[in-house]
Amino acid sequence: MGFIHFLELILIVVILLAVGIPLFGKLKSKKLVEPIDVSSDTYKHLLMRKEETLISIKELEFDYSTDKISELDYKDLLRKLEKEAEGILVNMDRLEQERRKNKSHKPI
Amino acid sequence: MNDIGEFSLLLALATALYGCVAYVMSARGNRIDLYLSADKTPFIVWGCVALSSVCLMRGFLTNDFSLQYVWAYSNIELDTFYKVSSFWGGQKGSLLFWTLLLSSYMLVVHFQNRKKNLRVVPYAMAVMLVIIVFFLFLINFSTNPFERIPLPPEDGRGLNPLLQNYWMVIHPPTLYLGYVGFTVPFAFAVAALISKDLDDGWIRMTRKWTLISWFFLCMGNLFGASWAYVELGWGGYWAWDPVENAAFMPLLVATAYLHSVMIQEKKDMMKVWNMSLVLLTFAMTIFGTFITRSGLIQSVHTFDEATLGYYFLAFLFFIIVSCVGLIISRLPLLKSTNELDSFLSRESSFLFNNLVLLGIAFATFWGTIFPIISEAVRGVKITVGPPFYNQVNVPIGLALLALIGIGPVIAWRRATFSNLKKNFLRPVAAAIIAAVVLLPFIPLGSRTEIYTYITFVLCVFVLTSILTEFYKGMVSRMGLHDETAVGALATVTWRNKRRYGGYIVHIGVVLIFAGIAGSQAYGTHTEKHLKIGDSFEIRGYTITYEKLVAVEATNVKTRIIAQLAVERDGKRYWTGHPEKEFYKGQNQPVSEVDVLSTWKEDLYMILADFREDESATIKVYVNPMVSWMWTGGWIIAFGSMISMWPDRLEQRRRLERVRRQDHLFPSPAQE
Repeated sequence: MGFIHFLELILIVVILLAVGIPLFGKLKSKKLVEPIDVSSDTYKHLLMRKEETLISIKELEFDYSTDKISELDYKDLLRKLEKEAEGILVNMDRLEQERRKNKSHKPI
Repeated sequence: MNDIGEFSLLLALATALYGCVAYVMSARGNRIDLYLSADKTPFIVWGCVALSSVCLMRGFLTNDFSLQYVWAYSNIELDTFYKVSSFWGGQKGSLLFWTLLLSSYMLVVHFQNRKKNLRVVPYAMAVMLVIIVFFLFLINFSTNPFERIPLPPEDGRGLNPLLQNYWMVIHPPTLYLGYVGFTVPFAFAVAALISKDLDDGWIRMTRKWTLISWFFLCMGNLFGASWAYVELGWGGYWAWDPVENAAFMPLLVATAYLHSVMIQEKKDMMKVWNMSLVLLTFAMTIFGTFITRSGLIQSVHTFDEATLGYYFLAFLFFIIVSCVGLIISRLPLLKSTNELDSFLSRESSFLFNNLVLLGIAFATFWGTIFPIISEAVRGVKITVGPPFYNQVNVPIGLALLALIGIGPVIAWRRATFSNLKKNFLRPVAAAIIAAVVLLPFIPLGSRTEIYTYITFVLCVFVLTSILTEFYKGMVSRMGLHDETAVGALATVTWRNKRRYGGYIVHIGVVLIFAGIAGSQAYGTHTEKHLKIGDSFEIRGYTITYEKLVAVEATNVKTRIIAQLAVERDGKRYWTGHPEKEFYKGQNQPVSEVDVLSTWKEDLYMILADFREDESATIKVYVNPMVSWMWTGGWIIAFGSMISMWPDRLEQRRRLERVRRQDHLFPSPAQE
């Protein structure tokens, strides 16, 4: 066997070991992700919407400070955004409470 | 080493294939062991491709002409600098280079996201690996860079002299970094569709990648224009060549995506549209590769041995069909519940901007594929030239320019008409003043001249609109904090990197528009056959042909240099040295132009021909405002850097979001 073939063999063995070792460990019983949980997805979505709504409020204030919208429109949009943010926060609170309740009911 | 290089490509292919299957199975079967196994493959694939690239590079640097690819694109006399660029000078090496970049991107994505959103990431990695498998399949079985020559010749054929230019060392990697980079948002978009995780997560995960890819694609286009300008020697920088178009189209679609994605982030709307734009951008990058490698369309940029067209066409077909199928199957999940607050809003202006950008992209696409269609339908290949593109794209481009100025003035969500009138006052007044001031100086005899006049007026409008935005931001900041004007301007820009970085990019775009308009409308040129001592005039320059010199630059290169004295107002102003270079083994000489570039205009000289009696044919172009374009490019680079710069506040927000999500809903891999 030439040196090159020996190197090629080493490469194959290293790769097989690298990808093979995790398959023979004790991880088979573990799951990659929780089964799809609608409330988890909703919570994630709400977190993003909350962030975007707060950014929108900041931008609205900036637009108002640079005279892009009238006071009337500013107040109207601000009210709308605050209502949106409030709705998001209420939903988040509800989900958090539900989740905590479910956790505490889980058998040990 | 060549054996190792070739073998590691096979190993990379086998590993990538395993990685695709293992990632998909890990996600479908919810198996962490398979995921951890698959998770080794990005590193292995990258290692194998990098090893193979090192072997090929070694072939170039050591003049190993037993490799057919090294023989075809290098020779002993070639500068080391160009030996490095020969790596991607031909089809085989360019595909390997593409794969190297893609696997490098994949590796970074892997390290960034291996523990994040494990419902989407395995699929995204699998998609990237599928694309790598396609390229590795071509490299291994159709266009192997390690193909041997049984009896190696003593010297190589050498690199095409047109490619021996520093821009060609920079331009292809930059363009490839852009092309390849769009694989990342594409992969995450497809992964989101497969996993049905269709909120904004994939957009946030790929936001920076999209910006980086856009930046490289933009720079790649500009570097390509610079190369064409100084190397091809026809006095221009853009010829609407199919391959230029192929790089331009993804840029247009990606620009549309960069704008419309903001609406999705803010309003949770336009999910189908954004998904389609990402997929279209990626499809356009593959289409561009198809154009350069199909041999179906003639261009100075296509590869000599362009034989891979049908593979790319099949791959393109597969991508489009599968992505459209995926989008259709997920339509119910992509529905938006929100609506635009008002027609008079920045969101609306972005929608118009999208339509305009896609209009230009479609017109360019149509012009590019028209020769193929005409040949298929009528049996005659009809090539569409610059007049078609100019006629269609210039008016649409002007609408785009106007929108760049309108956008910043309009508020998000809803603009108040009375405030809008007030805010438009300055830009419109500036535009009117510009229109009046420019009128006596600009002839309006032809359509081109009218378009140029409108372009200049719109440039003033847009610049005023953007600068007013900076001014208002600065004043607003100064009103709230005790800061100097410069300090307030710097802070307001730094705290709103995305917004103000974008405005700076727009300033660069305005300069490019002005440069294109000026150089296209007011350029002039002349061609003279001169004897030593003869003079001629062009636009106030007196040019005298002084001498012709032959220089043996290297063993393979002879330079014939003409010396031309340039006088202005009776004083010697500059000395130009356009030349012709003759390369051993190459039939055609290459023109090396000489350019005196100023803010006002470029004096561009070409040695077109010469005779034994030392008389020479000299072509001289006066191209106004070309340097505005290159300056615009650097401003775009600066603005992009600001936009891309990591935002600490945004990172903090993301970490807080992840922390809250994980606290409430921990995933097994994170536990």
